[in-house]
Formats: sequence, C-alpha cells, structure tokens
Amino acid sequence: MGLTGLQIFKLLPKTNCKECGVATCMAFAMALANSKASLDQCPYVSDEAKEQLDAAAAPPIKKVTLGAGDFVRTMGDETELFRHDKKFFNETVIAIMVDDTEDVAAKAESFDKKVYERVGLTFYTDALAIINASGDAGKFKAAVEAAMGKTNRVLVLCSEDADAMAAAVEAAADRKPLICSATAANFDKMVELAVSKGCPLSVKGANLEEAVELATKAAAAGAKEVVIDSGSRQVSQTVADLTQLRRQALKRTKGFGFPAMAVVTAEDPMDQVVEAVSYMSNYAGLIALKADDDALLLPLMAWRQNLYTDPQKPIAVEPGLKEIGDVTPDSPVYTTTNFSLTYYIVEGEVEASKVPSYILSVDTDGISVLTGFAAGKFTGDTIAAAIKETGLEEKVNHKNIVIPGGVAVISGKLEDASGWKAMVGPREASGIPKFVRENFAK
Amino acid sequence: MLIIGERINGMFKDIANAIRTGDPTAVQMWAKKQEKNGAGWLDINTGPASDDPVKHMKWLVEVTQEVSDVPLALDSTNYDAIEAGLEICKIPPLINSVPAEWPKMERVFEMAQKYNAGVIGLAMNEKGIPKDAESRVALAMELCACADGYGISMEDLYIDPLLLPVNVGQDHGPEVLETLRQIKTLSDPAPKTTIGLSNISQGTKKRELINRICAVMLIAAGLDTAVGDACDDELMEAIATARLIMNLDIYCDSFVQVYKNRW
Repeated sequence: MGLTGLQIFKLLPKTNCKECGVATCMAFAMALANSKASLDQCPYVSDEAKEQLDAAAAPPIKKVTLGAGDFVRTMGDETELFRHDKKFFNETVIAIMVDDTEDVAAKAESFDKKVYERVGLTFYTDALAIINASGDAGKFKAAVEAAMGKTNRVLVLCSEDADAMAAAVEAAADRKPLICSATAANFDKMVELAVSKGCPLSVKGANLEEAVELATKAAAAGAKEVVIDSGSRQVSQTVADLTQLRRQALKRTKGFGFPAMAVVTAEDPMDQVVEAVSYMSNYAGLIALKADDDALLLPLMAWRQNLYTDPQKPIAVEPGLKEIGDVTPDSPVYTTTNFSLTYYIVEGEVEASKVPSYILSVDTDGISVLTGFAAGKFTGDTIAAAIKETGLEEKVNHKNIVIPGGVAVISGKLEDASGWKAMVGPREASGIPKFVRENFAK
Repeated sequence: MLIIGERINGMFKDIANAIRTGDPTAVQMWAKKQEKNGAGWLDINTGPASDDPVKHMKWLVEVTQEVSDVPLALDSTNYDAIEAGLEICKIPPLINSVPAEWPKMERVFEMAQKYNAGVIGLAMNEKGIPKDAESRVALAMELCACADGYGISMEDLYIDPLLLPVNVGQDHGPEVLETLRQIKTLSDPAPKTTIGLSNISQGTKKRELINRICAVMLIAAGLDTAVGDACDDELMEAIATARLIMNLDIYCDSFVQVYKNRW
C-alpha cells in the first residue's frame, strides 16, 4: 500500500498554483495516490515529501541478514500484526549468551552440537552471543576468535566499549556478526565500525523513543542493516515496546521500520524460557538468553516452529506406522490420515483405550478423513499401499485393520487391494475405547 | 455494517404527534424496538413539521436516552438544533450531516471536535450531487482534509456518497459502488462510509427487496453503516449474512441472532 491521498496532500505545498497541470493540490494528491501523476510535476515539493513518498514503496520492516556463508539468518521483512491474517515469515533468531570470562571454546563446541529433531523437523539454535563481561578488549577478541574456531553459526558481539568492539569485529568481520550495541554514548564509533565492515548493527536506547531516534540516525549515516533494542529489560515494558515497534512499522511511521531484538533477564532458567516465549510471540526478531539446556531450548523451538507455520496450510504429521504403548504382534491396527488434528484425536482415543496398538497414518497431504476420501487420497488403494510401504505385514501376525466409520464404503476396495480384512470402526474417534472393549478385550 | 435506525423522525405521524403532545410513548417504543433489532445508532430527526427544532431535538434526545443506551445520530440541517442535542448526549453521537461546503464544514467539524462526535459528510456541495464516482471521491477528499484539519480521526468521519432512487437515478448506482471502494484509499486509517439506504427505493415497487439487495451490494463494496429500517427483519438478516461473507463477524449457527443482539 502506497501513501494515501490525505497523506500526500499533507506533504504538498498547498499553493494551488496549478503548475502541475491539476486544478488544486488536493486533486493532484489524489492523482498521485492513484498513480495518475508523478511528483516531478510539482516544482515546489519539499525534500521531505519526496523522501516519504519513496519510503512508502519500500517494505514496512527492513530485512536484516546475520552471518555469512552457509549459515545465515534473516530478521525483519514482516507484514503482519497477527499470524492468522497471513503468516509470520522469518523465525525468531535464538541467541545463547556466553561471557568472555567463561571457557568460550568449550561452550561454542557444545553449542555447535545443538541440533534437535522433532516431528520430522530439524531445529537449530541460531546464534552465539559473546558478552564482553571482562571489560577487557584483548579477552573479548580472544573469546570471539575461540568461538569462530568451533562453530559456524551466527555470532552476536556484545560490548558497549567501541575499542573492544573494533578489535573483535576486525577478527570476525567476514562472518557478518551482529554488532551489539550502538548507544547514545558510543554512537559515532559504533556506526562507523558497522558501515566500514558491512556488519549489521543493533542500536540500544534508554527507551523506545531514543532507540528509534538512534536507528534513524544510524541508517542515515549509512548503516544498511539496523536492529532496534528498546533498552527495556522489564518483561511487560519489553512486550509493550515490541508491540509498538511492529504497529508503527506497519503504519509506516517514520523511524520504526526495523526488526527488533530482546534480551531475557530472568535468573531462573525456567523463567527465562517463559520470558523468551513472551517476546517471541510479540514480534521479537532476535532473542538473547542464557539458558542452554536441551530441555529448556526444545520447548522454545517447538513454540517457534508452531508460531511461524502457515495458518492457511493444514498441518500434517509424518505419515507412517506409529506405535502406541508396548505393541506386540497381536496388537490391533487402526488407520487414519496424516492431518494433525485428525491423527492426534485418534491417537488420544487409542491411548485412552489402554490397549497397545498400531496407527497407520496415510499421507493425504495433511487433510482429514472425509476430505481425503472426497479427494481420492484416502481410499482402499492408498491404504493398501501404505500397508505395504510400512512393512506392517512383518510386524503383526494378523490381517485386521480398523478403518474410520465415516468411510465404511471403502472396506470392499481395501480388502481387494490389500488382502486385509477391514473392520469398520466408529464414525467418531471418541467411540474407539468402547469399540476396543467390544472387539479387542482380553 | 451497522444500521442507523431511521424511525424516530417527525416525518412519521406517530413521532410528529409525540412532538406535538409531549407524550414520549411512541418515541421510546421505537427506540427500544430498534435497539432490540440490532440498530447501531438511533437517528433523531424533528421532521419538517417542527416549529422549534432546537427545543424538539433536545426533547427527543432526552426521552430517547431515558430508555436506551444506543448512541444517537442527530439528524438536522439546523446546526443550532444539533448543538443543543450534542450538549445533552450521554454517549458521543453522530452528526447527520454536513455537505462539502464552507462554512458549513467549519461549523460542524468544530462542534464535532468539541463534543467528540462522529460526522456524516455528504459527497456533494452547492452545485448538487455529482454524477460520476471521481467527482464524488474528490468531494470526499475535501471532507477528509477539512476533518483532519480539525483533528478529527478519519474513523469518526462517515462519508455518504449519496444514493438516488433507482427508478429515476438509475445510472448513479454503479458510481456509488465505485465511490465506496475508492473512499477506502483516501487515507489510512480510512474514513468510514454511510448511505441513506431507503433512498434507493423511493417511489418504487417492492421497496424492501430493493433495499435489501442494495445493502448487500454496498457491503461488498465496503460500506460500514447505513441509515435504514432496523425493524425490517429480512434486511437485518441480509446484512448479518453479508457481514459473514465479508469476514467481519465470525460464523456461528445463530449468526442472525448474534448480529441483532449486539447490545
């Protein structure tokens, strides 16, 4: 969406001189809004007006790329306040903090091994944030070099001492680390560093207002990739700042169109994850936290993965054969689709039946039983193919498969195609426990 | 879309009688009835028969507010009467209406600012009602710019592109639809829109059918409000349905009831 007629009208000189060829400035503003005129036609327009018109053509939040080579992460470039309106695009970058007074090499090495598998997907922690806790420039540089030797993930360099930062950036510039942070006190040196080394820069203000001011100044000084840290370290204030940043950016308020970062300050590791979840859900492009236990990071990443899915696309589970409980060759077999809503309802009821069982989830591209049936994706043939593919025949010593009651009509076709006996189950999964008592009771 | 209930108007005999005798029964009956049927505002008009619009406007506002908390729309070309009503409205009302003419706009927007009221702005001026969408939009823009100058939020400005009866001004229909679409591009947030719905069917046969279909078409073009008959059940059902299809209300099986029971 470009500028509206009213916004343009406010930027025009309001002389009504007609030199643009249009009767009034207001009519000219409307012609501009409808792309029926160009701003060059007005000889009295200010530079500010030109700049704002240009800004309207750019995306509302700038894109910032962290890292280089084969491990990069993107922030910004978002267009929504609510994920259900379209989707969120660039997953929050999770940065784990390590002080330069710790054994950084060991930490980076263990960090590099942090790769998680869940529901068929791979999760990474994206970034290592190295903190200049020692206050010593040499130590900081050494810590950054140690980390570089052990991990290829994104680096975030945290120091407000411009000289220490200069030494560290000198060593790490090729990796395009995030420089954290330019403040009112060190502003000129930090911005100069980011511009000359082509690194992304985080600006931190005493409050949101100052941060926005600094970000605008940094961008004007040539820093191409700027991230905003509102400076707040209180959960409620940070959430308010992050929300305000996103809202104003989407309204194209001047100075707000940058991605945001947040720092987790809770002491207790469990509290840290809860705090991080709040920021993640409220538009943070990067979150720095100390917690690095697998048990703490996995739920955080699972939440991130869910938050950034496309609400318009049905969520699928990995198709295939699932074991519920301690299965034996005598265990019953159910079949359903790989639409996550359908699958988990069936799984829950099968678990509730207290009889260890197999569930064969057929790949229907993540659509439900009746939708899949109507689309020809959940049929006698596709179930028969899934039986073969999963090696079900080798796992059980019977040939009975329970099909959803809603598609009783496919039983004949399934039996012909697979040689298995189709048992027509209840229409609703909630009937499974009763069905089990009647059919599979010990 | 929300309906601005049109029934409390001195043009109707029972309201004219109420004004004459000072008996509020009919006024309050219609206030409750329109509220119960889901009207978003109650239009208050003293009508042509009133010899003292200021006094009668005040009286109508008072007796209506005694029985209903639905916001009012003060409908008069007499701005002193509107001001008298504004002074005693408990909830900020709508001012109905002002054309894109000086000094009327100054008078009305100043009042709106003072009393925090919304304003219905007509896309017409001393030259009358324009024919094509482009001229209507240009007048809408004048209203926006003037309202903005008085610090009025665009969301408190309701632009009326002016419907004409389909039997005499048939070629205006498509222009009004186009105007509604374009008004939403004038500013961000966009001004709201309204329409005198019953105008479309003046002097025609099957008035309710024409009103109903017209409302649905206008909602599809982005219409926010309309002055209309809140007691026409089929009209309200059509509006409730159109709101669903425009994704303005979340679907549920009793969507008509939910729309009507908004108060």
